Amino acid sequence: MVAVVVFVRRARARMALLRAARPAARTAEVGARARRELVQVLGQRKLFQKALPGVMHACIFWGFLVLFPTIVEAILAIVDDGRSLPVIGQAPWFLFLVDLFATLVAVGIAIAFYIRKIQRPDRFRGSHMEEADKILLAILGIVTTLLLWNATKIALGQTAHPSAEPVANALSNLFGTGQPTETLERVFVWAHVLIVLGFLAYLPKSKHLHIITAAPNVYFAKNGPSGHLEKLEIDLEGPEEDIRFGVATGKDLSKKQLLDLFSCTECGRCQEVCPAWNTGKPLSPKLLIMDIRDAVAGIDPAAGEVELQPLVPNAVTDEVVWDCVTCGACMQECPVDIEHVDTIVDLRRNLVMAESRFPTEAGTMLRGVEGPNENPWSQPASARTDWIGDIPVRVLAPGDEAPEYLFWVGCAGAFDDRAKKTTQSVARLLNAAGVDWAVLGGRERCTGDPARRMGHEYLFQMLAEQNVATFAEAGITKVVATCAHCFNTLANEYPDYGATLEVVHHTELLSHLLAERKLLTTPGTRGTVTYHDACYLGRHNGRYDAPRDVLGSTGLATEEMERARERSFCCGAGGARMWMEEDGDARINDTRFAEAAGTGADTLAVACPYCFVMLDDAAKAAGSDMRVADVATLLAEAITADGDRPAT
Amino acid sequence: MNVTVLAKFVPNPTGTPALGPDNLLIRDAGDGALDPGDEYGLELALQLIEAGGGEVTVVSMGPAEALAGVQRGLAMGAHRGLLVTDPGLRGADALVTARVLAAAIGRTTYDLVIAGVESTDGYTGTMPATIAELLGIASVTAVRKLDPNGDGFRAERQTESGYDVLTAPKPALITVTAGATDPRYPSLKGIMAAKSKPVDTVSAADLGVTDLSATQTVAAVVDAPAKAGGEIVTGDEGVARIADLLADAKVI
Amino acid sequence: MGATWVYAEVTPDGVHPSALELLTKARALGGEVEAVALGPGATGAASELGAHGAGIVYASDDQTFADQPGRTAAHTLHWLISQHTPSLILFPGTYEGRDVAGCLQALTGSTLMANATDVESSSRARTEIFGGTKIVEVDLAGREPRLVLVRPKSFPAEPSGGTAEVVAVDAVTPPGPTATVVERHAEAASGPKLEEANVVVAGGRGLGGPEPFAMLDDLAAAIGGAAVGASRAAVDAGWVPYAYQVGQTGKTVKPEVYIAAGISGALQHVVGMKGAKRIVAINKDADAPILKIADLGVVGDLFQIIPALTEEVRRRASS
Repeated sequence: MVAVVVFVRRARARMALLRAARPAARTAEVGARARRELVQVLGQRKLFQKALPGVMHACIFWGFLVLFPTIVEAILAIVDDGRSLPVIGQAPWFLFLVDLFATLVAVGIAIAFYIRKIQRPDRFRGSHMEEADKILLAILGIVTTLLLWNATKIALGQTAHPSAEPVANALSNLFGTGQPTETLERVFVWAHVLIVLGFLAYLPKSKHLHIITAAPNVYFAKNGPSGHLEKLEIDLEGPEEDIRFGVATGKDLSKKQLLDLFSCTECGRCQEVCPAWNTGKPLSPKLLIMDIRDAVAGIDPAAGEVELQPLVPNAVTDEVVWDCVTCGACMQECPVDIEHVDTIVDLRRNLVMAESRFPTEAGTMLRGVEGPNENPWSQPASARTDWIGDIPVRVLAPGDEAPEYLFWVGCAGAFDDRAKKTTQSVARLLNAAGVDWAVLGGRERCTGDPARRMGHEYLFQMLAEQNVATFAEAGITKVVATCAHCFNTLANEYPDYGATLEVVHHTELLSHLLAERKLLTTPGTRGTVTYHDACYLGRHNGRYDAPRDVLGSTGLATEEMERARERSFCCGAGGARMWMEEDGDARINDTRFAEAAGTGADTLAVACPYCFVMLDDAAKAAGSDMRVADVATLLAEAITADGDRPAT
Repeated sequence: MNVTVLAKFVPNPTGTPALGPDNLLIRDAGDGALDPGDEYGLELALQLIEAGGGEVTVVSMGPAEALAGVQRGLAMGAHRGLLVTDPGLRGADALVTARVLAAAIGRTTYDLVIAGVESTDGYTGTMPATIAELLGIASVTAVRKLDPNGDGFRAERQTESGYDVLTAPKPALITVTAGATDPRYPSLKGIMAAKSKPVDTVSAADLGVTDLSATQTVAAVVDAPAKAGGEIVTGDEGVARIADLLADAKVI
Repeated sequence: MGATWVYAEVTPDGVHPSALELLTKARALGGEVEAVALGPGATGAASELGAHGAGIVYASDDQTFADQPGRTAAHTLHWLISQHTPSLILFPGTYEGRDVAGCLQALTGSTLMANATDVESSSRARTEIFGGTKIVEVDLAGREPRLVLVRPKSFPAEPSGGTAEVVAVDAVTPPGPTATVVERHAEAASGPKLEEANVVVAGGRGLGGPEPFAMLDDLAAAIGGAAVGASRAAVDAGWVPYAYQVGQTGKTVKPEVYIAAGISGALQHVVGMKGAKRIVAINKDADAPILKIADLGVVGDLFQIIPALTEEVRRRASS
C-alpha cells in the first residue's frame, strides 16, 4: 500500500510538470504512430542497432511484458495462499513462457553486467552507474524470487505441470516437501512482491521511469523527417505576452520535451556518435538531456518565472549549446526517440532572439542574411548569375512562364567558387538531358536555413514568407536543389509557410534521368570513389541510394567508409557552424576527411556544398592528393569529355 | 551620463552605388542600412551608460526611410530617437548638415556626443569637428578608447605612430574608430521594444535652420581613364606593377 | 583674387610632406601663395616652405597648438583670415587637417570640400568616386575663403627655390572647453589596427609557415601605415594569432589597398576584404579564385615577389 502511495505521489509531481507544460502538436497521423510503436517498442528495432545491447534489452523488455501477469498472481497469492491466475494460471504454455522469460531476463541481466563491468564502453561516461547497478540487481531479484517461488510451489506439489517449467523444476530439487519449504514459499512470494513494490516506489525518481515514459515518447515522436524543425510562429504585431522566444527556463519546455527528459536511460548511444563529443568538445547529447532533466526535476509548476533559473548557463553552458552541428546522429541512435536537436535549437532561439547571446562571428552571417542582399556572405544579389558564363541558362523574369523544374541554385551554389562548379555541372547535365528548367537568378534569397539552425526563427520566418511568395508568383511547382540544407528546408519546412512544392535533390533527379536514359555515360572505369553521406540529405531525409546509383553509372568503383549512410559522420558545417570558429585540437571536418582518405579511394564524392567546402578545406590542410568533387561533376565528366552532350 | 549618438542611414554598403540624373547618389529606400561605422559609436554609448547610468539618444538626418537606421539604434538599446527629415535637405552639403545636426543635438540632453570617424558613403570626416565648434564643446577625433574621468573624459586617440591620451571636459564630442568596440546584434526583444520608444521627427525649419543653400554643386561626372581592372601579369613585371598601383593609390 | 593659403602640418622633426605637395599645386593656380604653420617646429620649417613657393609663412611655435589640437589652430587661422582675406585654403587630408578645417568651417561659414584629388581654382576642384572609376568635377561657391581638403600624395612636391617672409603669429585661445593632450605614445611595432589601416598585407596557406610572415611585416613597415593580416588557413595552422584573421569569421577590412599573398580567395576570406578599394593578389596558381576579383593579379612566386616589392617601395620612398 505504502509503495503505491509513494509511487503515486512521486509520479504526480512528474505528471504535474507534464500537465503544466505547453502542448506539442503530436497527435495526428495515428496510423504512422501506431506502426512506430509496434516496430520500435514491441519490436525493439532501435535497440538492435547495437547487437549485444539489443539482445540484452530485448530479453529484459519482452520478459517484462510476459511476466507482468505474474506480479498480479504473486499479489493474489499473498492474499490467498495457493491462489493462481484464472484461466492461464496453471496452463502449461503459460507456465513455460514464464519459466523461459524469467530465465531470459536473468540472462539479459548477466549480459548487462558483462557490458557494463567487463566491456566498459565509453558511452557510459557521465551516466549514473550505481543507480543502474541497483536497478539491474532489483530486476535480477524480481526474476530470481519468481523462479524460486515457482520452485518451492513445485516442491510443495502446488503446480499441476512441473515439467512445463524446466528451470523452476530443476530448482525445486533444492527444496524438500515439509514445513521449511512452506515458509520459504511464503518468503519468496513476499520478497518478490516487496521488491516489485519497492521498485515501483523508486521508479519515478530514477531513470528507470523510462519503462512508463518510453512508449508514449516513441508514440509522440515526429512522424516526418528529423530535419524538419517545428514552426515557431512569431507575430510581432500580436500581443507581446504571446510571443515565444524558444526555451529559456524549464517552464518553456513542451510536453514532448519533458517526456524526452523523463525517458532518458543514460545509455549513451547518442554520446557515442556525436561529432562534437568525438572531437573533444564538451557537448554530449546524453549529458545535455541529463543536465536539463536534473534542473527541471525540482520545478514546482506553480512557481513564478522569477524563481526559475535560465537553463543556459545554469544547467548547460553556452558552449555546449553552440557546439551542436544538428546532424541528428544522436536522434538516429536513441532507442526512446528523444529529440535532442529540437531542444538545442529551442535553447538557441532564446539565446539569439531574446538575449542576443551567441558567438560573435556568427553575427556576420546573420547581418548578411538579414541585410539588403539576404545571403550569408553579403554578396550583391545581382552576382547570383555570375556562375552562368557561356552555359545556356534560362533566368526567369517576373511574368515569365514557369519551367517544369526550378533549379534552386542556393547561396553557396551561386557565390562559393567550389560550389559553383557543382552548379555548372548540374546546369550542363540538365541541358544535356533536355529538361525544361530555369533559375530565379537575383530573385533567389537565402532559404533561411542557417538563421533557423542558429535559432533566429524570426529571420527565417521572414525569408520563408518572402521566398514562398516568389514561388507562388512565378508559378513554381517542382524544385531541384544541390544543397542538402536548401533541399531539407524547401521540402520539409516551407510547406509550413504555405509552399506547395515537389522538391528533389539533384542526385535524385540525375539518378532518375539516368534510369530514363536521358543521360548516358561513356563506359569504362575511372578509378575509385568514396561517398560521404550529407546529414541533411541522408540521415535527416533518408536519401542514401540515389547518389550511389549516380556514382555507379560513372564507372567509378565505390569504397564505402565504415561510418556510412545513417551512421555517416558529419562534415561539421551544420547547425550554422559553418559560420563559427571551431576550438579544440581535433576538428570535425579533419576527422571525417581522415576517415575518407583511409579508404584509399582517389576521390571523395559529396552531395552538398557545405560538405564540399569543409572536406576540401580538410584535404588541403592535410596536404592530401585526394580529390573532393560533387556527384554531379563526376557524372558530368563521365558523360563526355566536356559533359555537354550525351554519348550515343 | 547622457549620450547622443549621430547615426547616418547610408545606401547598401555592399551594393553597387549609382548616380541619379541630378548627379546625386541614389539613396534607394529599400536598400539602405545604418552606417556600420556608427554602430561602433552606438555600442560605446551603450557600454558607457550600462556602466554609469544615463540614457542614449540617436540623432539622424535623412529621408523618411532613415527612420530604419534610428530604429536599429533603438533596437540595440538606445532610449529615444530624433530624426530630421526635410525635402529641402536633399543633397545638403557638409555645412548645412552640420548646422542641422548641431541644432538637433542641441535639442537633446547630453554629456557626450559620439559620431563615427567618417561615413561609409561620404567619408569627408570633417563634420564632427564642425558640429563641435557650432555647439561650443570640446572635441576629440579618432578615439579608440574612452573612459569617464572625473568631471570629463579620458580618451585614447589613434595617431599615425601610435596613440595620444587626451582629457576633455564635459560636454564633449568624440568620433570613434572602426574596431574600437564590437557592436552588439539587436535581439528580437530589442527590435520589438524599439517600436514603443519615442522618436521625434522634425524639419529644418523646426530647428531654426533656414539657409539651406548649397555651396557645392556637381558640375560633371566623367569616367576616369580606364584603369585595366582585373589584369593579370606574371612575376617579373609584377613587382613594378604593384609598386605603381601603390603609388597610384597614394599610399606610398 | 585673394591669396591661396596652404595649411602646413609641422612637428619639431620637420614639415609634413603634404605641405610641400600642396604648395606645389598652389603655385600652379596663380596668385599669391602663402603658408600657415602652427605649432612647435613652425619657424624652423619656414625656409623649406619658402623653397616650395610660400611667399609668406605665418608661423607660431607655441606649444599650445600641439597640446590643444584642432580648435586652437582653427581659431588662430580664423583671426588670420580676418586680417588677410585669402580666397582659398588647402588642407592635407590627415586627421589634423580634417579637425582644423572642420572646426574652421563652423567659424567662417564657407564651403569645405573633402577628398579632393585635384584643384583648378578657388571655385573648381575634383574628386573620385566608385573606387576611382569616376571623376567628379565640383563647383565651389559662397563666401571666401573656400576650404579644400586634399588627399595626401595627390601631387608631387617640387621646389621653386624661393624664400619666405616669416610673420610671427600669436595663438588665439578658443573660447569654451577644449581637449588637452596629456600623454603621447609611439607604438612603432604594432602600427595601425587591421580595421583602420590604409593598406593591409595578408598571407595565406601559400606562405607555408609562420616565419615568412616576417617578410610581410617588412613590406608593411616599408609601405607605412600598413597592417598585416591572414587568411583562416594560416590562423588555423597556428602560424599567426586569430587577431590577424580577415574573413567571414574574422575581421572585415576596407583599406585603400589589400595585398593578398598566397591566399586562394575562398568566399569566406573574400567576404572580409572585398570592400578594399584596390585588391592585389600574388599567387603561384593561375586558377586561384582570388585572381578573378583582384584589380591586379600577379602569378608568380611570392617568396621572390614580396622581398623585391619591399625593396622597390623603399627605393621609391627614398628617391
